[in-house]
Amino acid sequence: MRMDNRLQAYLDGELTLEDLPLELRARAREWNALIDDIRDASPAGAPLGLDTRILAALDSAGRRARPAWITWLLRPRLVPVPPAAALAVLAGLFLIVTVLGVPGGDAIPESRVYVQFVVEAPSAETVQLVGDFTEWQPTVELEDADGDGVWSGRVPLLPGVHEYMFVIDGSDWVTDPNAAGYQDDGFGQKNSIVAVSPVSGT
Amino acid sequence: MVKPDARSDIRNVTDADLVREALSGSDPAFGELVRRYQDLLYRHAVRMTGRGDDAEDVVQSAFIKAHRNLGKCRDPDRVGAWLFRIAANACKDFLKAKRETVGVEQMPGLPAPDGDPEREADLGRVRDEIERALAHLPAEQKEAFLMKHVEGWSYIEMSRTLKVSVPALKMRVHRAREELQTLLQAYGS
Repeated sequence: MRMDNRLQAYLDGELTLEDLPLELRARAREWNALIDDIRDASPAGAPLGLDTRILAALDSAGRRARPAWITWLLRPRLVPVPPAAALAVLAGLFLIVTVLGVPGGDAIPESRVYVQFVVEAPSAETVQLVGDFTEWQPTVELEDADGDGVWSGRVPLLPGVHEYMFVIDGSDWVTDPNAAGYQDDGFGQKNSIVAVSPVSGT
Repeated sequence: MVKPDARSDIRNVTDADLVREALSGSDPAFGELVRRYQDLLYRHAVRMTGRGDDAEDVVQSAFIKAHRNLGKCRDPDRVGAWLFRIAANACKDFLKAKRETVGVEQMPGLPAPDGDPEREADLGRVRDEIERALAHLPAEQKEAFLMKHVEGWSYIEMSRTLKVSVPALKMRVHRAREELQTLLQAYGS
């Protein structure tokens, strides 16, 4: 049923009661009473103990954040290293890899597997990778060394299904058009999905 | 830093700092966010779903989703609006999954009758009619109507929170009013 535009404007706060003709004022008061009724019928707040149940559910789902030091350790990051120090680090890494015997370089300790992410973004200045594995923080920078607009980077991931997106120029969150699958992210976009299989023999 | 045993201190921490602490793995910080916003989310969820137990489930799932995606909160100063949007989307998903057949007859929080029995019966009947009418509104219209009129949001605040334009929100509210008017007249006849 069509409603008088002046009544709609009053209910939107654009007109006062005095702006309405007399025949509409009674209708306006009825609407105010109806809205008061709905408001009065609502609870004041959450029931006692809801917060405890929510936090317990987070615990039982194993979804609570890791301790800060573990998060810090696992967070991928770019570290500027002077050339001399870089040589020393490389030498150290060579020694560690030789001693531990990581097979083929496809896997690293803790059963993580390197996954290559590639996206075409010819006009981008920067491209970052974010996902559940970075706590959705833009800590992984992709590179386009030859300037052909194809950005890529390798990231060690634990086996399982991971959700991710690319961040173009620090602000545009985009889905990977070549992802293996997609998951609605609840914010009007879709996350890209990558499934990581464990490497046998590790 | 947020200390686990510093409840009085943590209440003074800003939302943005709580988000940063929670992202660093602080459980008390996320717990404080839950305590700060559970009432806002629950009231909306009860009005949307019409049932207290469904509202609890929706709010719980919203906070779990928020926890998993906290890094996606791009404006930690407005984490409350971000949480509200997650819960609002969860409510709409819930209603759509139920094909909008959820009744609101068991809405919790209704004042118990304590006055004149006849008057209370009349009042109860009117509320039943309002609740039945609300339950028949499409989810987006119901959401916009409740936010505007019952929860007191401005159209601009609604637009920023729901990421929907002001004209589109106005249209939803106008249609909700017209639909409610039609339904209430039908019940009253």
